[in-house]
Amino acid sequence: MISLAGRDILHGWGKFTLTGLGLGLLIGVTLTMGGVYRGMVDDAMVLLDNSGADLWVVQQETLGPYAESSSIYDDTWRSVAGMPGVEAVSSVTYLTTQVRRGTEDVRAMVVGVDPGMPGAPGQPGYLSSGRHITRSHYEAVADAASGFRLGDEIRVRRNTYTVVGITRRMVSSGGDPMVFIPLKDAQEAQFLKDNDSILQQRHRTASNPSLNRPGVPGLLESVIASQSSNLFVNAVLVRLLPGVDPEETAEHIRRWMRLEVYTREQMEDILLGKLIATSSRQIGMFLVILIIVSAAIVAFIIYTLTLGKIREIAVLKLIGTKNRTIVSMILQQAVGLGILGFMIGKISATFWAPFFPKFVLLQARDAVTGFAAVIVMCVLASILAIRAALKVDPAEAIGG
Amino acid sequence: MADQQKPGITIEGLRKRYGSGETAVDALKGVDMAVSPGEVVGLIGPSGSGKSTLLKCLGAVIEPTSGRMTLGDEAIYDGKWKIKDLRALRRDRIGFIFQAPYLIPFLDVTDNVALIPMLAGSSDGDSRKRAMELLKALDVAHRASAMPSQLSGGEQQRVAIARALANRPPVILADEPTAPLDSERALSVITILNAMAKQYETAIIVVTHDEKIIPTFRRIYHIRDGRTEETAGEGRAVDKKQNIQQEEETA
Amino acid sequence: MKRLWKTIALLLGLLVLTALFFYVMMRSGPLAPVPVTAADVEERAISPALYGIGVVESGAVFRIGPTSPGRVKDVFVQVGDRVEAGQKIAVMDPVDLDQRTAAQSASISRLEAVVRAAGARTSETAAKKKYAEAQSKRYDNLLKSGAVSVDSAEAKRQERQVTASAWASSNADLQAAGAELERARADLDALFSQKKNLDLVAPAPGLVSSRAAEPGTTVVAGQSVAEVIDIRDLRISVRFDQAMASGLRAGLPAAIVLRSRNGQVFSGTILRVEPLADAVTEELVAKAVFDALPEVIPPLGELAEVTVTLPGLPASPVIPDAALQRWNGSLGVWVIENGSILFRPVKTGRRDLEGRVQVREGLKPGERVVVYSVKALTPKSRVKIYATLEGIRQ
Repeated sequence: MISLAGRDILHGWGKFTLTGLGLGLLIGVTLTMGGVYRGMVDDAMVLLDNSGADLWVVQQETLGPYAESSSIYDDTWRSVAGMPGVEAVSSVTYLTTQVRRGTEDVRAMVVGVDPGMPGAPGQPGYLSSGRHITRSHYEAVADAASGFRLGDEIRVRRNTYTVVGITRRMVSSGGDPMVFIPLKDAQEAQFLKDNDSILQQRHRTASNPSLNRPGVPGLLESVIASQSSNLFVNAVLVRLLPGVDPEETAEHIRRWMRLEVYTREQMEDILLGKLIATSSRQIGMFLVILIIVSAAIVAFIIYTLTLGKIREIAVLKLIGTKNRTIVSMILQQAVGLGILGFMIGKISATFWAPFFPKFVLLQARDAVTGFAAVIVMCVLASILAIRAALKVDPAEAIGG
Repeated sequence: MADQQKPGITIEGLRKRYGSGETAVDALKGVDMAVSPGEVVGLIGPSGSGKSTLLKCLGAVIEPTSGRMTLGDEAIYDGKWKIKDLRALRRDRIGFIFQAPYLIPFLDVTDNVALIPMLAGSSDGDSRKRAMELLKALDVAHRASAMPSQLSGGEQQRVAIARALANRPPVILADEPTAPLDSERALSVITILNAMAKQYETAIIVVTHDEKIIPTFRRIYHIRDGRTEETAGEGRAVDKKQNIQQEEETA
Repeated sequence: MKRLWKTIALLLGLLVLTALFFYVMMRSGPLAPVPVTAADVEERAISPALYGIGVVESGAVFRIGPTSPGRVKDVFVQVGDRVEAGQKIAVMDPVDLDQRTAAQSASISRLEAVVRAAGARTSETAAKKKYAEAQSKRYDNLLKSGAVSVDSAEAKRQERQVTASAWASSNADLQAAGAELERARADLDALFSQKKNLDLVAPAPGLVSSRAAEPGTTVVAGQSVAEVIDIRDLRISVRFDQAMASGLRAGLPAAIVLRSRNGQVFSGTILRVEPLADAVTEELVAKAVFDALPEVIPPLGELAEVTVTLPGLPASPVIPDAALQRWNGSLGVWVIENGSILFRPVKTGRRDLEGRVQVREGLKPGERVVVYSVKALTPKSRVKIYATLEGIRQ
């Protein structure tokens, strides 16, 4: 028995391939959009994972340090370190700002970490080249997404740093690449103003008669010095001993230290539920619409393709082809088109996803779901078309 | 009047009513027809006369309202269909030739013809062998592996004829088979039909109003207003040069 | 025949597409191997170093100002001038000091005259006394011989007493005048001292680093008019993170790079580690000195990067710090064995500034560990080793 579907495809291979390509690109776009959505959520999750922390200690009544700004004294870590259940603590600062290299600048989240041993909370967990920060000033580790390379001189606020290491997937919840610099430099960057402001402030202080008393030499200098000290950090990250209940330790710190403490779960809620909620809903809605539209277009294409064969279907019916055979021919073509389209779509999505500015997460299970959806759409659409085709009176083939 | 040694196809009192009540239309009002195996008869009538309807009934494509249809020895309709599988009936026992060849565009010439026996269950090899025989007989075997779009109109029509004959059906219904053809081709088709009818003992009914071929029929059914009338045709033979010879009947 | 070729060609195309598809599924799905780079554990000696940022300052900073409030009269130096010990830097406004000095001098002159007058009178009375004494003595002698009357002897005796007291009186006047003169002279000296005090001089050779008051400014006691630094005593006050400063002590060699002269490395030494550290910033403070003063003296307050080389440590297993990762609560490395990875906790030792870390426990030289990766690793990860991860996109 001749494979009618096969012969038809062979005869019209150009149209078939082009249709498959069109379908494929549409599917690829839909898969990519799904990946964009997942990437957004993953950015938020990865931020929490990479911090290596079990608890986040921040300013009271804030949702910090990511969703809201938080300032706590930089000696807070000492008291937190003494709390029961705490294995290691690190002070950190987070500042989203433009980082300049030469004439271009990049939006990055500048993270201030203590350049002690790698493995402290807040430090990048793994590198893709270079080394960790070893000097206490003017070195930086940047994420690959920033475009910086080893040896680059980058400027953050007032100072210049040399990039000594590169990381991957160290991004803020908004997808901005992270740049790690020593904590003291980061404190200065965040809490110390630029040169012009500092000069103005000095002038203002000097013109304040209660601060600039002639009878008290040295008073003005002391006041100005105190204004330029950086006493704050944004958060203290806490790693707990194995087996310790995070909520218990968190409650302890909250009660005795008058600070807010968030566990990993609570941070997840804050990030997903508050910080990226609107953006992810935005993308989510668009994704739903895209899926519906793509499904409709797939259905439309298959339907139209089938209807174009009405005459052949009528003749086949007339010369005695079983309905089953005709249905099988159409279905084979539709499913074949679906499979072809899906393969093209998945391949395209995989190849162009890395070029997106933010992370696109294409998961295997999304591919499987997508594949099932495509096949279902093809089958449904072709069945609708077949019904139309089979209703055709073979007598049509015989002239009016 | 007609040779009726073995009835090929017979129709008695066939009626077909479309619609019901006030708006009913009687397309066929009692048609009688009989064609013997090996015979080629013409069916002539103006449009609206019901000839399409008659053809559709003969082809078991639509169901008549009343009457009797017999194919060979078997009654296939007498008030209702007596055959369950009409599709099989069409496939195995009725051949169709249309105004246009209606070849399957994505099958080559051989497979267009071989498809019919394949659908009936023959093996691929046997089907293709039979197809080649028919194509040879119709003098179009040199195009056996071409695609329909590469053939001329006449060649396509001959392939269509081969297809109609593929399952050796006892009846062939031809609907204006020569309409798009010039006189030489038209006569050639009629010649072939006659030859095939004799060779395979097929009864062939040709619906036509083509003046060029009407003289070749020995018997003609005229249909008007849903009724048929049998007349004698001129029965002229066609010579080698595809010209109609003078009738050789004795006066 | 054509159909056969066509079929073959299309099937080939389909095959290529399918292969590509499976490649894509394998490469990016969870089954895909993670690209990593690897390194062998080396046995080597590392030289840890300390790094700190310092500020250029002087060991001796002299703030030169008046001891009592006054107005600045003149400042003789500019910022940047070199001064000798004793050189006049500035002078305060003497106000009425000169006039008072003149007055005092005049007073002294007058007193001198008074002393002279008293001296003359004293001489006079002394002479008269001497004469009267002699006369009295003579008359007494004459009385004894009866040559003179008792009256006249009495009169001569009385004269003797009168002249004696006259002399005593003028002598006393002379003393008094002398004492007053001394007092006036002392007062004048005091005024001169005060005047000298209005001169602000450099106590030691150095460089004028600041000129804080201009002529005409009123300053209080203790306020500095100018600052002089001893440039022979230039040093850098370096701060080291307490957590990363083990091994810091005086005498270690230091490489100094001045902020404004990037690229030029000066050699220096750690002079001492300050006994007082900074508890707020958690830093140790040390003083470093240049082995040889730069020709162009760096301005005070300029920042410098100081790298102190500690003595080299004996050879031990060493890994790049990028290989250290955390898994399951402990710090360790991923060891590559037979194509799969295994996490091994390690204990680390010192590290140098180039990112090499000693491994005290857990690794032997020659073992292969994962250094760089594009993803976080788990024990179930499969890895594929590349020479570099450059250009590999995830």
